[in-house]
Amino acid sequence: MPDPIISLDQVSRVYSMGRMEVPALVDVSLQVFPGEFVAIVGPSGSGKTTMMNILGCLDRPTHGQYLLAGTPVSELDDDGLARLRSLTIGFIFQSYNLLPRTTALDNVATPLLYQGVSRRERAERARAALERLGLGDRLDHEPTELSGGQQQRVAVARALVTEPALILADEPTGNLDSHSGAEVLALLHELNAAGRTIVLITHDQGVAEAAGRQVHLRDGRVVA
Amino acid sequence: MTFTELLRLALSRLRTHRLRAALTMLGVIIGVASVVALVGVGQGTTANITSRLAGLGTNLLTVSPTGRGGTTSTNLTLDDATAIGQLASVGAVAPEISTSQTIKAGTESESVTVVGTTNAYASVRAYDVWQGTFLTSVSVDQKLRVVVLGATTATNLGLGASDVGKQVTIGGLPFQVIGILQAKGGTGFQNPDDQVMVPVAVVQKYFVGGKSVRSIGVSVARADEMTTASAEITSLLTERHGLSSTDTADFNVFNQTQLLDAASSISGTLTLLLGGIASISLVVGGIGIMNIMLVSVRERTREIGIRKEIGARGRDILAQFLVEALTLSLLGGLIGILVGLVASAVIGQLAGWGFHFNPATVAAAVLFSLAVGVVFGVWPARQAARLDPISALRYE
Repeated sequence: MPDPIISLDQVSRVYSMGRMEVPALVDVSLQVFPGEFVAIVGPSGSGKTTMMNILGCLDRPTHGQYLLAGTPVSELDDDGLARLRSLTIGFIFQSYNLLPRTTALDNVATPLLYQGVSRRERAERARAALERLGLGDRLDHEPTELSGGQQQRVAVARALVTEPALILADEPTGNLDSHSGAEVLALLHELNAAGRTIVLITHDQGVAEAAGRQVHLRDGRVVA
Repeated sequence: MTFTELLRLALSRLRTHRLRAALTMLGVIIGVASVVALVGVGQGTTANITSRLAGLGTNLLTVSPTGRGGTTSTNLTLDDATAIGQLASVGAVAPEISTSQTIKAGTESESVTVVGTTNAYASVRAYDVWQGTFLTSVSVDQKLRVVVLGATTATNLGLGASDVGKQVTIGGLPFQVIGILQAKGGTGFQNPDDQVMVPVAVVQKYFVGGKSVRSIGVSVARADEMTTASAEITSLLTERHGLSSTDTADFNVFNQTQLLDAASSISGTLTLLLGGIASISLVVGGIGIMNIMLVSVRERTREIGIRKEIGARGRDILAQFLVEALTLSLLGGLIGILVGLVASAVIGQLAGWGFHFNPATVAAAVLFSLAVGVVFGVWPARQAARLDPISALRYE
């Protein structure tokens, strides 16, 4: 058995709302191994978003241990988290989160900018990633000039361009029509088949079916 | 991220928001332009005064009568001048008596100040001869009707180098031109180049009458003896005029250099003051930049969140916003310098003292506008860098 990419051990996240303490995640333990395609499923309020923030190193657990690719996340400062995100995770969001007034090419190249990759290499790799996703003729288009499905494919290209160990997809089909949504899911499948580790977070049981393994969240706990 | 990358980001941002960038820069442009222009004007004034100072003559003291008494009846005499010339601290003495007369050369004529003086006048008043000679001691002693023309007067009368030796008439009397002076290049209503010089006794004999002179120009031998010489002249004339120490002196020893020194230092202070006032508008321009950057951080909260999500560290965001503010202020500063230099050139041209380019002012303006960018850019940039990526991503 290889080392897991994600290893959550008794992880809790408690939000302080004034004097109230609101637990969003309670004692969650989870392991994801390289090459897996895992769906984290739950209704709204189940702690999905918190899970996503923790897994994506945008937030730290209050209790418990989170190892991402062997690195203990709780011990990193903000810059350390940014570095870990930059090198290890590719994000795909429901609302695409592309930079406005920025071409598809520059959008895809930006993660490499923060890794200190040279301008020429950035452009080459971004172009290659977009071409792989069939957007070779949309390099100079800004997000507003692209359809939802195209924007999400640009986001996928951006997630892939750094060759991350983990793809983290948060409701990637939520804003798309069923056709484009199916396309994106097929794309995720393809990537998984090519060996990428994917964690998909969704409330939609139908979307979760696409994954190889499902983890169900309810009230901040793993129920199945 | 390298500085080039940051600059590229900043420039592309400014390109997409041209109008806003231009309006934001306008504050800095106006600030820097007014600093450069006003300091330029101040330095032009100072340079103008300094050049007049040099043109006056070195170590010049002027002795003039006080109290009533017009130009015709004063109590300074040629003998007073001769006595002053005997003092050890005094280098040269030139008594002066002037009158206004019409000078004619051929068909040209004009009204001109005729200065009756001696051969020492040229060295006391720092004139150089361009053609011919200045008054000689012989021509002064012999009361010859000879005249030396100031540069402007010669030009006005249409006389050139070849006209030395020709005759002109002053107040109807024929005079021989023996020299033409080099221009001193002064302006204003007492143009030192628009006068003619004749032997002092000639003026007394034909135009004014009497034995008195209007003033006595004294060139002190050494600059550090100005005060000594002034005191010596005072006590000498007090004695010669038969005054007791309690009497009010009927003459005045005047150090013109001191006056112009004072004027020069006043104009220097004025330059500082003008520059200071203009700097206030630069600060206001800086606040404009801060304002826009704060709005921009608010507007771009989501963008900042996205950038952080895909790997930007706090310092990357800080640098991005700081360089943006710097680009605005520096670009504004450079445009402002151009505008300011053009303005001070135009003003200098109109005022007649020419264009004074001062690299130090320009360098200071560049540094100042950079400082404005840093000072007023840091706070918004820190706000941007500190944004929490989760809430920034959720911000709509």
